[in-house]
Amino acid sequence: MWRIWLLRAAEFLGSIAGVILLVSLLTVAAQPPHGVWFFAKDVADQFLRALTGDLGRSATTGAPAMAVAWKAFPVTVQLIASGAVLALLIGLPMGFLLSAGRTLRAAAPLLQIVTAIPVFLIALALVWIAVRSFHMIAPVHPEDTSLTALLRHGDWNGAWFTYLLPILTIGAAGSARLQMALRRAAGAAWAAPYRNGLRMMGLGLLDINLRFALPEIAAALLRDVREFVLTLISAAVIAEWIFQRNGAADLFLKAISSHDWAVVSSILFLFAILTLVAGFLGDVLASLIVSEDRP
Amino acid sequence: MNGLLAKTDNGRHIPAFRTVIGAVGIAGLGLTAVVVALDNVIAHAPAGAAHGAPPLSPPDVGFVFGTDALGRDVMSETVHALAVSFSSAVFATAIAIFIGAFAGFALVRMPLGAGRLVRFVSGIVRTVPALVLAIVLVALSSRDFSTIAVGLAVCPAIFNRSFDSAMSLARSRHAMYARASGIPGFTLLRRDLVYELRVNFMYVAGRALAASATILATLSFLGFGTVPPHRDLGLVIAQARDSYLNAWWCVLFPALALVVFILCARWAATDAGGEAS
Repeated sequence: MWRIWLLRAAEFLGSIAGVILLVSLLTVAAQPPHGVWFFAKDVADQFLRALTGDLGRSATTGAPAMAVAWKAFPVTVQLIASGAVLALLIGLPMGFLLSAGRTLRAAAPLLQIVTAIPVFLIALALVWIAVRSFHMIAPVHPEDTSLTALLRHGDWNGAWFTYLLPILTIGAAGSARLQMALRRAAGAAWAAPYRNGLRMMGLGLLDINLRFALPEIAAALLRDVREFVLTLISAAVIAEWIFQRNGAADLFLKAISSHDWAVVSSILFLFAILTLVAGFLGDVLASLIVSEDRP
Repeated sequence: MNGLLAKTDNGRHIPAFRTVIGAVGIAGLGLTAVVVALDNVIAHAPAGAAHGAPPLSPPDVGFVFGTDALGRDVMSETVHALAVSFSSAVFATAIAIFIGAFAGFALVRMPLGAGRLVRFVSGIVRTVPALVLAIVLVALSSRDFSTIAVGLAVCPAIFNRSFDSAMSLARSRHAMYARASGIPGFTLLRRDLVYELRVNFMYVAGRALAASATILATLSFLGFGTVPPHRDLGLVIAQARDSYLNAWWCVLFPALALVVFILCARWAATDAGGEAS
């Protein structure tokens, strides 16, 4: 067992090194020097600098790129975390409900009508509903959209608009992904051949589900955490852009537009680390719930 | 074709409803292809042409989907934009399948663990979302290459799936027997490819098509995709953003076209167990 853990840890560290190499490659490839040798040398230099956390300076502000990205990162993490909580609240019950019985399982493809909607359309629909049905408007003072400033000005509409709608957008995208993963995991668990054997041995359905199927489903969901986080990051990019939240995802689009590659690399690095850490933790927890050497 | 099968290879029956869903998805994609092929016949006006109609007129007998802020017929614009979105998504999917799926199968047989190395690199690339990767690729090249960028961005996911699938096939009992009885590696690869194409092609292609269509539309919406005067559905929706709060028809019909297209692709991607993706 410890060999598996060692392998996982080595793979995780190797992936982080690979991500650093990838962002170094991107930084150099954006403004490549002439000649293969100089290119390789620049990548190696950039890689060694990146290992110490130095991904260069922002082309627009001159500040260290990692510091610029890190400053904007908490807003994105906050949005992603809130969206994840909302996704869990909606996606888990929905996934269980849609995998509970044969009739409900047959209705699952109809739910795909909802999950086929791209995230930017969800955001536009939410804005339309907020404005037309609840008479919400964008913040009155768009230059300062921090929650404290909005509440100080008594701009409750602006606060709802800026803070609730992006979370709803990300939560909707996350819950679509989550219920799909849950349905798949539950489908596999319900169809597992050991269920019949256990029933023939006299175990009740509730016992089988609680002791065997539920851990399998939880482990499958945890193994899917990486994809879940990727979905949330994608949704955050769109939500921050539409709702003008000054997070790392919005900064990423601005940096791409101004070809500020040092900042782009730093943000990509942070996104990749977030995904890797979430995936690694998901794998570890899944291994704890369902042992790797279980047949 | 898998979505139309009555039962899988191992004899397990696919639930009829989901088989129907797979068939509906394929039929929907076929219908979309017909609309796209006949876009100049179906649309009343050429792409981008103003009719002299009042701007932002709601749907009526003359303009079934209404007109946009420049007085263009929304129905004609939607049909033309669907043609651009469909052809771009199909092209991106072809790139993704050709590079991702076939390379995944071929690289498993590479000597010195080269395939594993590429799989590791692909896993690292997959730590950023395909949308973000596509934006980076567009920024590194040009908006004119957005279709290729999306195809390449979707590749890692397909590659990883194909590689893992090919790896399990390469380690399977039939592969061991084949190697022991002296069957060449290329013959085995060809057999595995045919098996994969027969069983999983619609699943992989449908998922890739849905992902490509979504990412392409999002790229255009964010301003990194199609370059005007060519407008895909994402760009049509983006350009109607200023007026849609009062003129819902400017966004609703292009959005419906996009959702139906993506939905058909996802319904067509019914896997071997009859489960829609």
